[in-house]
Amino acid sequence: MKFSYNWLRELVDGLETPPKDLARLITIKTAECEGVERVGAALESASEARIVSVEALGSGHNRKTVVETAKYGTRTVVCGAPNCRPGVRSIYLPVGRKTIEGIESDGMLASAAELGISRDHTGIVELDEPFALAPDHIIEVDNKSLTHRPDLWGHYGMAREVAAILGKTLRDPVKARALGGAPPLRVTIEDYALCPRYSALLFENVTIRPSPLWLQYRLEAIGLNPISNIVDVTNYVMAEITQPMHAFDADKLRGGEIIVRLAREGEQLNALNGERYNLDPSNLVIADPVGAVALAGVIGGAESAISDTTTRIVLESANFNASSIRKTSSRMRLRTDASMRFEKAQDPVNTVRGLERALELLEEVSPGIRLVGGLADAFRPPPAPAPIELPLDWLDRKLGRAVPAADVRRILESLQFRVEATAPRIFSVSVPSWRATKDISIKDDLLEEVGRMVGYDSITPVAPLAPAKVPPGNPERAFHHHVREMAAAQGFTEVYNYSFVSEEMAAAFELDPAMHIRVANPIARDQGLLRASLLPGIWKNVGDNARHLDSFRLFEIGREIHKDGEAPHFAAAIYAKDNGVPGLLELKRLAECLLPGVTVRPAQAQGYEHPQRAADVHHGGTRIGRLFEFHPRMVEAGRAAVLDLDLILVEKLQRGTVRYQPVRRFPTSAFDLSIVAPKRALIGEVHAAFPRPPELLSIEFLREFTFSDRRRSLSYRITLGASDHTLSSDEVAAIRMAIIDAMRSAGYELKL
Amino acid sequence: MLDGLISQLYANALDQLASAETLDQVEAVRVEALGRKGKLAEISKEFGKLAPEERARIGKLLNTVKAELESKIETRKASLEAAALDARLDAEWVDLTTPAPGPRPGSLHPVTQVQQEVEDLFVSMGFTVLDGPEVETEYYNFDALNIPADHPARDMQDTFWLEDRRLLRTHTSPVQVRGLEKLGPPLKMIAPGRVFRNEEVDPSHEHTFYQLEGMMVDHDVSVAHMIYFMKTLLSAIFHREVTVRLRPGFFPFVEPGFELDIRCLICNGEGCPVCKQSGWVELMPCGLVHPAVLRYCGADPEVWNGFAFGLGLTRLAMMRYGIDDIRLFSSGDLRFLTQF
Repeated sequence: MKFSYNWLRELVDGLETPPKDLARLITIKTAECEGVERVGAALESASEARIVSVEALGSGHNRKTVVETAKYGTRTVVCGAPNCRPGVRSIYLPVGRKTIEGIESDGMLASAAELGISRDHTGIVELDEPFALAPDHIIEVDNKSLTHRPDLWGHYGMAREVAAILGKTLRDPVKARALGGAPPLRVTIEDYALCPRYSALLFENVTIRPSPLWLQYRLEAIGLNPISNIVDVTNYVMAEITQPMHAFDADKLRGGEIIVRLAREGEQLNALNGERYNLDPSNLVIADPVGAVALAGVIGGAESAISDTTTRIVLESANFNASSIRKTSSRMRLRTDASMRFEKAQDPVNTVRGLERALELLEEVSPGIRLVGGLADAFRPPPAPAPIELPLDWLDRKLGRAVPAADVRRILESLQFRVEATAPRIFSVSVPSWRATKDISIKDDLLEEVGRMVGYDSITPVAPLAPAKVPPGNPERAFHHHVREMAAAQGFTEVYNYSFVSEEMAAAFELDPAMHIRVANPIARDQGLLRASLLPGIWKNVGDNARHLDSFRLFEIGREIHKDGEAPHFAAAIYAKDNGVPGLLELKRLAECLLPGVTVRPAQAQGYEHPQRAADVHHGGTRIGRLFEFHPRMVEAGRAAVLDLDLILVEKLQRGTVRYQPVRRFPTSAFDLSIVAPKRALIGEVHAAFPRPPELLSIEFLREFTFSDRRRSLSYRITLGASDHTLSSDEVAAIRMAIIDAMRSAGYELKL
Repeated sequence: MLDGLISQLYANALDQLASAETLDQVEAVRVEALGRKGKLAEISKEFGKLAPEERARIGKLLNTVKAELESKIETRKASLEAAALDARLDAEWVDLTTPAPGPRPGSLHPVTQVQQEVEDLFVSMGFTVLDGPEVETEYYNFDALNIPADHPARDMQDTFWLEDRRLLRTHTSPVQVRGLEKLGPPLKMIAPGRVFRNEEVDPSHEHTFYQLEGMMVDHDVSVAHMIYFMKTLLSAIFHREVTVRLRPGFFPFVEPGFELDIRCLICNGEGCPVCKQSGWVELMPCGLVHPAVLRYCGADPEVWNGFAFGLGLTRLAMMRYGIDDIRLFSSGDLRFLTQF
C-alpha cells in the first residue's frame, strides 16, 4: 500500500516530520515501511505558462512557441505536441537550452506523463485550473503488515496512526451531508450476513471527462491509474477512507431495484476487465431484477459500466462479508483493490461516509451534477461488541514494565478508543467500529496498542524465573547428529535434496506413482510427487557432481514421505570414475560403524541396481536397508555405490544396554584354516557354517584366493580359549578336528 | 720371553681391533685373542712351566691384558652397534608431508552446522528439541494457530496442498501446538525443520527452506522476558553483543506480534546495502502466544502464557557465510558444500 505524504499532511494538523523520519516512526509503531520514494520531482521547478504565439518550423510537426511563464518570464521553446496552440495554459519546465531545427529552445512545455501527474503523453498539459501541484513523497508500506488492519488501507486510517504517534490532531475529510430525501431506488439484501450494508445514491446531469490534474496526480502517485472523473472519485474515496465504491450507469440498470444475492447456477457476468466469469451460488452478486450486474466487492459488470455518454449514475458504497469476498476472489483468481480491502473486514459504518465524501468530490469534478432523491440504505447493524475489560496490573505484568494509567488512557484515546475507569486499576475500553470488525476483540489486542505506542524499546530485558530442570531429551535427533558426524568423519559430505520428485523419476526407481502423495498445486510438472525414497535425489547428486569430480562421497539424512507417515532415512553414495568394488565395501564398513553387527545378504537386484551387486542390509532378523551399486546404464561413466538405511530401525537397534564381561585371564590359542568353497560361494555363508563350540572365541576372515576354475579358497583364523584354564595342545587339536569335520560334512573341502 | 709374546699379542689385537669395520670382524679379533683356542689360551699353556714367582707376575700380566682387551673390544662393539643403528634409522626417513591415505574428511551441510549450534544453545538454556511432520494437517498448520479458513493471513504463506487435503507445513509453528498438546505447560521447546512455500525459486527465494521454532510457556511470561531470551540467543549466535529492536508485526498466533530486528552487524547501524541503508536487519518474527492458540492446546490462557518465535536457519546460514544465492543449499553441489 502506497501512502502520499502530502495527502497525510492534509489529514494531520501540523505534520512537519520529514517523510523518511515519518516512515521510520510508522515502522516502529504501526506497520513496516519498505521505502520512501520522491515523485513529481519535476514539479519543483515547473511553472504555469501561457502560449503566446506558435510558428510552424520546416516540414515536421515541431513549432517555435513563445510562452509567458509565471516564474521565468518569456521563453521560446520548440514544441511538437499536437495541442500546442496560442492561448493554451500549460506547464513549463526549465530543462536547459538546446538547438532544434536551428532554433534555440530554452526549456520545454510538459505532458502530464513527463510531470508524473498521469500516464498521458499525447500532448502538453492544458490547464483549466490554478496550478498548485508540488513534489510528493510516497511511503510504501508492506501489505503483509496490514493484513489485520482494515482501517489502514486508506490514508485517513494511517493519518490516525500518525496523529497518535506524534500527538497531533486528526482532521476528518468527510463532511456530514443531508441525504434525507426519498430513496430513488429500492435495495434488497437477501442475506445480511454476507452483506451487512448496501448504501447508494443516484445522480443525474453527470458529465464524464478527465479529472482535474490534482486528482489525477494523487491517484497516479499512489499507483492507481486515472480513468475518468467518476471512476477517479470512487478510487480517491477508497484510497482516502478505505471504502471501496462502484459507479453504475443508472440507465443501464433495469427495473429500479438493486438486489444483493447469491449467484444462480449457470449465471454469467461480463466483467469490466473484459473477462467472462461463470458464477455459482458461492458467489455474491449485485443484480438488477434481470440479472447480475457486478460481482459483489470484487469487480463491476461491463454492461452496466459508465461510458462517455453516461448522464446518470448509481453510486454504490457497500459492505460485504470478508470470507465470502476472499473465497470468490481467490476462486476467480481476481484480486482487485476492492476485494483486497473487503477481505480484511471493512467497517459497515463507513459506507455512508464514503457517499458523503464522494458527493463533495463529484460536485467539484462534474459541475452541474445533481443528487436525485436521498440515500438508499439497507443496513442491519451487527451487534455492538461489548467493551473490553483491561486490568492495568495484568497489562504491566505482560509487558514487563509499568505504564502509568494516564498514559494508557492517552494512548487508547488518541487511537479513538473510549476508555472508562470502572474499578481501581481497571479500564473498560470500547473499540471504535473500524477496529472492531476483526482486529480487536480481547485485552491482548489492547496490550499491543499500548505496547507499540509506549515503544517496545522502553522495556528492559529481564531473565525469567524458572525452575532448573533437565529438559526431556530427543534421542532420535541426537542419533541423527551422531550419524552425520560419523559419515562426515569418513569422508562423506552432507547434501540436502528436495522433497519433490517427478512421476518419471519414481518409475525409474520402481516406485509406483500411486503410492506417492501427490501435490495438488506443484511448482512445476516434474515436482508433483512427494519423495518416497531418497534414492532419486542421491542419483541426481551423483550425476551432477560426476561432471566436475573424479571421485566423491556424499550423504543425506532426510525423510521419506509415505501416505501413512514419514521415515527418516540415511542415504550415502561413493562415486569413482574407475571401475571396482571398494565403494560397496566402504559403505558396508560405514553401516557397521553406524550399527555394529549388521550383515549383508545378496538379494534380487532392482532394475536400477547392478544385477550382481545388490544386497539387503540386516541386523538380527530385521531388514534395515539396502547396499548396491547403480546399474551401469544409470551412471554415465564410473561407478556409484549406494547405502540406504532406515534410521528409525537403526536408531532403535543400536540402543540396548551393555553388560560387562570379565577380562580373560588365560592365554588363547589360534590356528588358521583354509576352506575351499565352490564358485560364488558367499563368505558370509561359509562363516555361518562354522560350528560354535564353547571354546570358540572368534572366526576372522583373513584373505581369499580364487582358483582358475573360480573355486574360492578362503582363509580364516580361529581363536580358542577357556575362561578357567589354559587349553592344552590336545584340547586345541581336538576342537580343530571337530571344526574340520563339521565343515567337511557341511560340504566344504579343506586345504590342510 | 712370555712377556714379549703377551705384549705382541696385545699390540696385534689392538691393531686388528682398530681396523675392524664390522661386528663380525670384532668378534674374529676376540676369538683370535681371547677365544678358548685363542692366542692368550695358547700362552697360558706355557704358564705351567714357569717358576712360581714368575707365574704370579705373568698371571697378573695376563689378567690385566685380558681385561683390557675385553674392555676395548666391548667399546668397539658398542660404537659399531651405535653406528649401525644410526645408519638404519637414517635409512628409515619418512616424508611426513606425504598426504595421509584414505578419503578426505567430508563436511556437514551449512544449515546443519548452524542448526546444531542453535540447538545446543537452547538445550543449554533448558529447552527441549521437538520434531514434527513435514506433511501437516490444515488444523495444525493453520486452524490451531488461529488462522481460520478464508483468513487473508493464509495468503502470507503460499501453501503446497496435497491431494489428500493435507499440506506441506509452511512453517515450524505447528510443532508449538503439537508440543504443548503432548508435553503440556510449563514448556520450553524448540523445533527446527524443513518448511515449504509455493514460491518461484530465485537467488533469494526457495520453496524449501529451514526454520527453527521456539516457545516458552509458563506463568507470567512477559515481553521483557522474551527480549531477554532473544538478546541472549542472538548474542551467542553471532558471538558478540547484539542490539535488538521490536516493532509491530502481524502473525495470527501471537498477540502482540513483533518483528525483531538486529542492528546491522556489517555497518553497526550506519547504513549499508545489507541493511538497505536502514541500519537494521529483520531477523525473526516473535510475540506472546495468542490466547486462542493456548486454548487450542488445552492450556488456560488465564493461567498460562508465553512467547514464541521463529528463526530462519537458512537465512542465518546465508548471513553467517555470506551466501548470496539461496538455491545453493539444495543444489547438492559438492563444490559448494565441501567449503563448510
